[in-house]
Order: sequence, then structure tokens, then C-alpha cells
Amino acid sequence: MQRRTLFAVAAVMVAFLLICGCTGTTSDPVSTGTEKQQLRIATTTSLDDTKLLNHLSTIFEKQYNAEVLVVSAGTGKALEYGQRGDVDVLMVHDRAREDTFIADGYGINRRVFAYNYFILVGPESDPAGIKGMEPTKAFAALREKGMAGEPGVTFVSRGDASGTHSKEQAIWKKAGLNYSTDVQGSGDWYLEAGKGMGATLAMANEKQAYTLSDIGTYLAYKGDLDLVTLVDEGDILLNVYCAMQINPEKYPDINSTIAKDWVNFMISDDVQKEIASFGVDKYGQPLFYAAQNDWAKIGVTEAEVTDPIK
Amino acid sequence: MIECIDVSKRFGDTAVLAGVTARIEAGEIFAVIGPSGAGKSTLLRLIDLLDAPTGGAIRVNGTDIHREPKRGLLIRRMMGMVFQKPAVFNTTVYENIAVGLRFRGVGEAAIQKKVEDVLGMVGLAGYGERRARTLSGGEMQRVALARAMVIDPDVLLMDEPTANLDPVSVALIEDLVLRINRDLGTTIVFSTHDMYQGQRLAHRIGVLMKGVFAQVGTPREVFTLPASRDVARFVGVENIIEGVVVAGENGASVVDAGGIPVRARSPFEVGEAVSLCIRSEDIRIAPADGGAAAPGRNTLSGTVAAVVPRGPFSRVTVDCGFMLSSVLSWKAADSLGIGEGSRVVVSFAPESVHVVRQG
Amino acid sequence: MYEIIEGFIEAARLIVTFDPDVMAIAARSIIVSFTATIIATLIAVPFGAVINFGTFPGRKSLINLIQTLYSLPTVIVGLLIFLLISRVGPFGFLRLLFTPTAMIIAQTVLILPIMTGLTISALSGVDPVIRDTLYSLGATRLQFLVNIMKEARFAILTAVAVGFGRAISEVGAAILVGGNIMASSFASSTRTLTTAISLETSMGNIPTSIALGIILLAIALGVNLAITRMQHR
Repeated sequence: MQRRTLFAVAAVMVAFLLICGCTGTTSDPVSTGTEKQQLRIATTTSLDDTKLLNHLSTIFEKQYNAEVLVVSAGTGKALEYGQRGDVDVLMVHDRAREDTFIADGYGINRRVFAYNYFILVGPESDPAGIKGMEPTKAFAALREKGMAGEPGVTFVSRGDASGTHSKEQAIWKKAGLNYSTDVQGSGDWYLEAGKGMGATLAMANEKQAYTLSDIGTYLAYKGDLDLVTLVDEGDILLNVYCAMQINPEKYPDINSTIAKDWVNFMISDDVQKEIASFGVDKYGQPLFYAAQNDWAKIGVTEAEVTDPIK
Repeated sequence: MIECIDVSKRFGDTAVLAGVTARIEAGEIFAVIGPSGAGKSTLLRLIDLLDAPTGGAIRVNGTDIHREPKRGLLIRRMMGMVFQKPAVFNTTVYENIAVGLRFRGVGEAAIQKKVEDVLGMVGLAGYGERRARTLSGGEMQRVALARAMVIDPDVLLMDEPTANLDPVSVALIEDLVLRINRDLGTTIVFSTHDMYQGQRLAHRIGVLMKGVFAQVGTPREVFTLPASRDVARFVGVENIIEGVVVAGENGASVVDAGGIPVRARSPFEVGEAVSLCIRSEDIRIAPADGGAAAPGRNTLSGTVAAVVPRGPFSRVTVDCGFMLSSVLSWKAADSLGIGEGSRVVVSFAPESVHVVRQG
Repeated sequence: MYEIIEGFIEAARLIVTFDPDVMAIAARSIIVSFTATIIATLIAVPFGAVINFGTFPGRKSLINLIQTLYSLPTVIVGLLIFLLISRVGPFGFLRLLFTPTAMIIAQTVLILPIMTGLTISALSGVDPVIRDTLYSLGATRLQFLVNIMKEARFAILTAVAVGFGRAISEVGAAILVGGNIMASSFASSTRTLTTAISLETSMGNIPTSIALGIILLAIALGVNLAITRMQHR
């Protein structure tokens, strides 16, 4: 008798859970009758971690009666998903690898929709003494102190072939260092997280270490962090976000119409305004800048910023 | 009904049955007795098609059952089997008994009636809704018997059905076996290592030793005229003495047993090596000064070597050149004043000596 | 310490108020793992029966292999299924990657060995006399199998419960083939209890992680309780 009661209670609980779960998120009307189009996006983590993508996809879903499925991964993994044809659109921030990807015929119709800057963050005490330095000098100093075993000098790298990781490697290179021999695995001061931007910031915070972050994710997480911005000036810190379609000639059954809609949506005037104002109310400054009027400043063509895909 | 023709069965290198031949008639109770490991279970399993013989054939109503794969199920469904270990399915008593009927597609109403009838027969009326696993071993074995009987089998096979049970349950099962055979005419083949059970229940007994039937006959034949020294030993003949026939004609022989002449009835030729089987009940013990020996009896004098209590009797062993045991009531033993070392006279009739060829 | 206490208070609030996101994730976890368990049961039980009662060369080795696969790492299963159903993989045309279906497939594959193995143990654990009795009562091959399974039902249910427990608590395969997607519709999302805990914790969203963890723990404990009860019958 007692057992039956227990099972009955459990059954009711499970049923309730299912009902709540099912109705909880399907509040938007599905009664349009037509099958919703699904758009699969592989994105760099910073766009997802800052909730920008969440904000924009909600608008997009309403306008286009579509459903946006976001797989958040580093740029490297996102490119891999794109190359395998597992998604329709890529949103990444690594010009060099994007170029290769397009040249190899996997990506088409790249449009730049936003930019911001990378920043070097670290503990307020700044044991390496790099505050205000020029980026390459700051990196060189970090390595030197780290190799010398200066207490408290630790650098957490994304270590996940993401756009941010790519940028970090570029800075090491510009500082005259060979990444794979001089930096990677050179000592306990250099750690590879293998995680997204948000998780890497959380890890650097735990260890009171230095790390390279895009400013958007840093601002979005700033409330939970004790890390401060130490280096934020220098052309090399520029961070440019693009959206591109996966080539339908490679994968004919890819959802190219809705993919095109998404890319065009990202460079539309309304969305550019949304990007420019996103987060201002919460963080007192924008997380991203709209690319629309700054194409010359960030070194891309006007067409790449304003021309809709036909 | 069932014919076993030179049936053999090997498991790997071990020959369990080595040429079993016997004929079981319809309507009889046939006991397979023999020591543990003699192959009794194997023989029953072969009859029930649970195993295939290595050689030979088993015929049921003329059909070689192991060479009719298509009719295997039909043949098996003619038979019911009860195993040594009381095993019931983990469900109610009713469902346990109904299983065989369900296999045969019997309707629910008919099942209900038959199960109730058979429960009544085995004395478990009203037990239908009990969970079978909660019953005692004896009750479980009666459920197993009911389960086998509910399908009205032509043949009921029982493999040591009472080996694990208490004496009261044994008596219940034995009574059921007799009633089933008498009332329903079911042919019953059962195995047992208890020779007295074989004697109590069976019309005929097959003594299975070392993979063959050493003897097949009525209980009386098997107990009084064992076919060999081994059978004699198994059916409880206590006195077995080796000897050589030294004289004989017209079925009356004289056997030299270690220098002592013993008169016996036997058909054997002079010079033949034989074993003398004498039941202890047939041996009489008298005081050494007990007067003249009865004419015609073998009369030997000797010394009491041991007096061992056995139930309400005493087993008295006398050394008279060879050892002979007899059974006396306590009272008789007391009145004779027998103790270890007493001089006594032992006598037995030549007719009480059963002579078998040695080996 | 403060963080943990605060986390638990917030977690309690999320559970008591039936926070829609948290409930959706919990419900999805149950649905995905339950479906995988049902499919795995439909495969593992007959397969286990064939292996247990069959006589074929290599039977012993097959059982050994199955037992080895008990400890199949979840990420290996995830990787394998990812390669098979990715667009360029042999089953890419089905477009299953990053769907709940993909997670169901991965979890099914993951728990098949242990469920098959436990089914074999369950069936071989049935008293040989029961087997002989069924045959002697005139069972056909099918009647025999059905009744043996009835006899082993509690042990087989244990296998099912173990399979469900392993499915719902794994994270490696779910994140690789599911992608941890939180879409606007319930059916397109692939965020489950484990992948969400992994993500939320790494992003410092501790209260949600704790709430999800409590629910996962409750489910796992419930399953364990069910197993224990069954074994005592």
C-alpha cells in the first residue's frame, strides 16, 4: 500500500514536470500552420555568452517565423562544423582562417556586422607590472616574468583554436616569439583552458591569472569577476565579427534561403542599431560596435558591411 | 508403452548411460532405483526429450521419439515431469498450475475448473491465490505434481520427487502417486535412491548401476533374488560370502566358503566361483548349548563379534569363519544373554541362500 | 561558503516555483533518456535472450566483449555517433546532428552493452529446473522465452533501471551530438540536465547548476530506490 502511494506520487510529479516543461517554453504560438524553418548557427562563444545572439535571434524568429538553433563553440570548432556541413551559418571572428575557409569553397557571402576590442585582463595587483603597456610588450613581459617564476604571474589561454586563441597567438608572434616552442608548454605559468570565453574568464578569476578576452564577454561577466582591464589599446587588439553562409554548392540540402535572410538581417539598419545599443543599459557601455559606418576603420570593404546578399 | 533400446548417453568423456534396455508397460508404476550418479536423472530426461541420447533409441508407443523432431512437442506434451528440486514459478499457485494448460491454448473457464480439481487432488484446495514461493518444500512439490498432472499426461515422470522432503511430505507424495496410478491409470516412471520407496510404490523396479540396468523385475524378485552381488548389496542383503561350488546335483549344491561347506540351492556347475547372499532376517542364532541342530539347515558355531543397536532391533555379527549378521529383537537378544564374545550357533536354511555368479 | 548557501536558496526557489527553463531541461532529460532506455530495452532484451539461450561459435567471446563495453566511455560513443551522423558522415543525409534524436541514439548505443549484459545475467540466473519445467510442460520455443522472461522480470527491470540511470547521468555524448542548444521550442532544444550543469557551472551560474543538480540527483536516487525495491522481491 505504501509502495503504491509512493509510485503514484512519483508518477504525478513526473507528469507535472513534463507538462510544465512542455508548456514553459513553447509559449510562442506554433499555430501558424506552416512548418517553421530551422536555422542552424555555429557561433563563437563570445556572441552567445554575452546573450547578444539570444537577443537578436528572438527578433529574427518573430520576423521570419523561423527557429534559430545555436551551437556555441570556439571559432575553430565552428569552422569545423561548417566544413562538415552540420550548420547553415557561421558567426566567427578570425579573418585569416575565414579567408582560408572561403578560399576552400566552404563559405560564401561573408558580411561583417560588428567589432570590438580584445583586452588583456588580470589581477588588480598586476604582479607582472604590465598595466598600460603596448600589447606585444605586455605579452613579452608576461612571458619573461612567468618563465622567471615570478609569483602570481599566470596566463590562462583559451587553448581551443577559437578566434580569441588565434588572436593571442598572433600577438605572441608579433612579440617575436614562436608560439609552439616559446610559449605553449613552456612552463607552469601558461595554462590552456580548452573552454569558451566565459568559462575561461571564470577560470582566470579563480586562479587570479591574466587572460586575453574580447571586451563584450568581459563586460558581461564583469560583475562576477575580480579581474581588471590592464591593456586595451593597440591596433592588434581589433576584433571583427562576421556572419557567413555555408556554400550550398558543397551541401545542396543546406537551408540557404533562411541563412541568407540571417546574414542580411545582421547587417540591416535595425539590427546594427540593436548591436550598437546592446548592453548599454546594463553595463554603461556597448559590448559591441556596429560595423556599418566603421568599415574603413576596421579594414574591410564597404560592400562587406552594407551590401545585402542577393 | 516405453521401450528403451540400448540407450547410451555421454557427457564429454563421461559415459553416464552405457546401454540401457527396458520395457515399461502402460499403466504400471516403474521405479528406477540405484545409487547416486548411476544415471537415473539422465534416463528420465531422455524420456522427456530434455536431452538427446548418444546412442540407442527410446520408443513411446512404437515411435522413436528422438528421431521425430517435428512431433517432438506433441510427444513431450503427452508427458508430465516432476523434478527433484521443488521449483515453482514466481507467481501464484493458480498460475503455476495453469502454465501447461495455457501452453496448450486451453480456455480460461476450463483452466479454472481443471486447476481447482487438481488442487483438490493434491490436497491444496484454496491455495490458488497464494504466492507459490511462500509455500513449504513439500507443498511446492505438490504444486509441481499438480502442475504436471493438470494436463492429463499419459506418462508421469518423477525424478527423485521426495529426496528433499520431510517424512510427512514424502508419505503424502507417495500416497498421491499410488492414487494417480490407480484412479487415472497414468503410467508412472520415477527414480529414487531409496530402495524401500521403490518397493512400496512400484509394480516393477529397474536397478540402474554404472549406466546399465543390472536387474529389472518385481520388487519381490529384486529383493529376494538379486541378479548380482552389487544388486544384492544395494537392496540391503547384509551377508555376502564368496565361495566355490564343490558339489552339486539337481539344484542342490555345496559351496566351499573359505573352508566351510555351505549347502545352498543353485544351478551352478562344480568349480564355479559364486557369491552367497543371505538376508540377515533368515539367520537364526541360538546359544552354543542349544541342543541338536535342525536337520537340513546349515549350522555353524561361532563367537559374537559385535552387537549394534538398529532401531528397535539389535544387529548381531557372529564370526564363524566368515562374518554373518542377524537381526534380533532386544528382548530376544536379552533372553539369549548375548554379548560380545558369547559362543553361539548360527543356522540358516539352504533355501535362504541366494547364489549368484561372482563378478 | 556564502556562495554555496546562496546557491542552494536560489536553487530551492527555482525548483519550488517550477522555473520554466529548469523544468524544461529536466523534462527533456527524462524524455530523451527514457526514450533511449525503451529503445535499448527493445533491442537488449531479445538480443540478450538470443545470446543466453543460443549456441553459436564465439558466444563466450561475445559475452566477454559485451562486458568489456560496460565501461564504454561516453565521449567515445559521442564521437562515434557524431562522425556517423555529421553531414559528411555516412548518415549525414538524415540531418540528425544537434537534435534530441541524436542524443537518443547516442544514449541508446551507450547503454546497450550494459543492458544486454545484465539481461544475460538475469536470464542465466533463472534456476535450471525452471527451464526444464517449462520444456517438460510442453512449451514451444516462444512460450519458453516469454515465461523465462516473466520469471526473470525483476532482474530485467533492474537492467532497465541501470540503463536509464546511466543514460540520464551521462554528459559526454549528449554534449557532442546534441550541441547543448537552447532553442525557443522545446523539441528543438538539446540542453539536458547534465549538459546544462556543465555549461552553467563553467560560466559561473552556480544557483541554476545546483537546482539542476538537485533534480538530477533526485531522479538518480529515485531510480536507485526502485532498483533496490525490485531486488528485494
